[in-house]
Amino acid sequence: MTERKLLSDLVPQPDDDMVVCRCEEITKGEIRRAVHDGMFNIHEARRFLRCGMGLCQGQTCGRLVKAIIARELGISQSELDDATGRAPMRPTEMRIIASEVFGE
Amino acid sequence: MKRYDLIVAGAGPAGLSAAAEAAKCGMRVAVFDENAKPGGQLFKQIHKFFGSKAHKAKIRGFNIGSELLAEAERLGVEVFLNAPVLGLYDGREILVRIGDETRHYKGDSIIVATGASENMLAFPGWTLPGVMGAGAAQTMMNINRVRPGSRVLMLGSGNVGLVVGFQLLQAGCEVVAVADAAPRVGGYGVHAAKLARCGVPFYLSHTIVRAEGSDCVTGVTIGEVDSGWSVIPGTEKHFDADTICIAVGLSSATGLLKTAGCEMEDKGPFGRLPVCDEYGQTSITGIYACGDVSGIEEASSAMIEGRISGAAAANYLGFLPDAALKARAGELEQALEALREGMFAPKNRGKIPDKTDEGFDVSMSLLTRGYLDDAEVAGYPGVRSAAGTHPVIECTQNIPCNPCQDACPKGCITVGENIVALPQIDAGAECIGCGLCVASCSGQAIFLVNEDIGGGLASVTIPYEFLPAPKPGDTGVCLGRDGKPVCPGEVLEFKSPPAFDKTGLLTVAVPQAFCGRARFWKREA
Repeated sequence: MTERKLLSDLVPQPDDDMVVCRCEEITKGEIRRAVHDGMFNIHEARRFLRCGMGLCQGQTCGRLVKAIIARELGISQSELDDATGRAPMRPTEMRIIASEVFGE
Repeated sequence: MKRYDLIVAGAGPAGLSAAAEAAKCGMRVAVFDENAKPGGQLFKQIHKFFGSKAHKAKIRGFNIGSELLAEAERLGVEVFLNAPVLGLYDGREILVRIGDETRHYKGDSIIVATGASENMLAFPGWTLPGVMGAGAAQTMMNINRVRPGSRVLMLGSGNVGLVVGFQLLQAGCEVVAVADAAPRVGGYGVHAAKLARCGVPFYLSHTIVRAEGSDCVTGVTIGEVDSGWSVIPGTEKHFDADTICIAVGLSSATGLLKTAGCEMEDKGPFGRLPVCDEYGQTSITGIYACGDVSGIEEASSAMIEGRISGAAAANYLGFLPDAALKARAGELEQALEALREGMFAPKNRGKIPDKTDEGFDVSMSLLTRGYLDDAEVAGYPGVRSAAGTHPVIECTQNIPCNPCQDACPKGCITVGENIVALPQIDAGAECIGCGLCVASCSGQAIFLVNEDIGGGLASVTIPYEFLPAPKPGDTGVCLGRDGKPVCPGEVLEFKSPPAFDKTGLLTVAVPQAFCGRARFWKREA
């Protein structure tokens, strides 16, 4: 867990309106803002913004979001955790999850 | 709950190899894969593989896939398709989605071979239709037979970018440029040279500034980067393009291992990877990881890793005695070590040697422009001047590959025990001009040259994998290593016998003075 620290003011960047998480349509600016609002890791950013929580489950944007958070905090990406691995690994409808077969 | 001796997640090169190896020991094996077809990335790979001849080098990837699948089926492996593994739980239990149901299975051992996914890059316009992963473009072309676009910019000069770039040319696309933020070409020089001689320009130390277009990609601007990876103002270059392919690396798909609670470790640029022993066993006994999920490498390495894990799982459950595992793993590890040698070995990542193992200068032109400079070619051991038809081998980097040495029936070519050594030509051996070496070279780096065929002409034989097939008498222009026209060229012969496995040998007549420079041929427009 990254130590809570005071970040300098959020300086707007020209590509802040660029969508980073396509499934949930979250922009780079929103992710940067969230870091300044105290979301210091991928888990918090996911819960706060839903980035990486859509159909692809962060397969495309996971690394991009991590890079933005790390840069904003001024730390190396390897200091940040990946998103937690959870079943189901692929988007699955609730009715299918409910149709659970144990025997053969 | 249905129970198997071994459950494999992922039917790619690693997973199928693991399954086959374990089944060979008598295990009851099930493989689950989310795709409609087995083989993982293998069936997308239409090029000939590098590596040692003993381990499937010079065979095209999709043919390796078919062989592997046939082997697994023969050994009674059950392959479940359209069956994504959703979770891996305590007691080596998996949850799989099959049709409209989720099913539980139990494996007395588990091998996770879920491969990797492509990394993306965000830049203004990256969400426009037309921006795609290089792997996606390859799936469109080679699996679905759909051309992804007509004018393509490739970002990334690693082997994926270079191989897919060449396949785009083969599919009839124009590749407007290969760009890479790194200052050096990341993949094999021979792959870069194939693109460069077709006229594709390389822009190293360049990245994408923006993709242009409102509803889809209509153009792209790249710019040179400084040492801090920022674009230097004033260096922007625009290309008209309808497709942008991104080949900036892969990330191991470790999700299942994480749900199982396998211990992970940070491997810097490779991300967080499972902690594994020499057989691929994770921190949880009986759960193994092999192939790209345990670290990104080539498919050839993934297949060997799969076999090692398959044998280890067999040993764990008593299907393979300790001594037999030791012998089998020893032989496989030796093959794996050989593939992990050379300039592009995982351990040498990021280093740029200035000499080959043999002490030859590494071509900086190849690393920065994608082609060997005409003036430096003669310095390499595969390049010799001789009377009559003779091979010219423009293989100048230490890469693990040796099919050329067995290809020559006259023993003209030597790589030696160390498969990363540069091929050498025995000046005393007689070349019969059969062309087997040309067709055997996965890097398409071998040419046959006859410096004097009379009338002031020479002949150059070029590996040629494009349609339509040229015919004797066709006229065109010969391109140099840099892809620029050097002289006119008339087709003398085009042959593509079954033994060449679709690498055509195109022989063109050129003025004598150009036989050392003409390396590609383009039909007259």
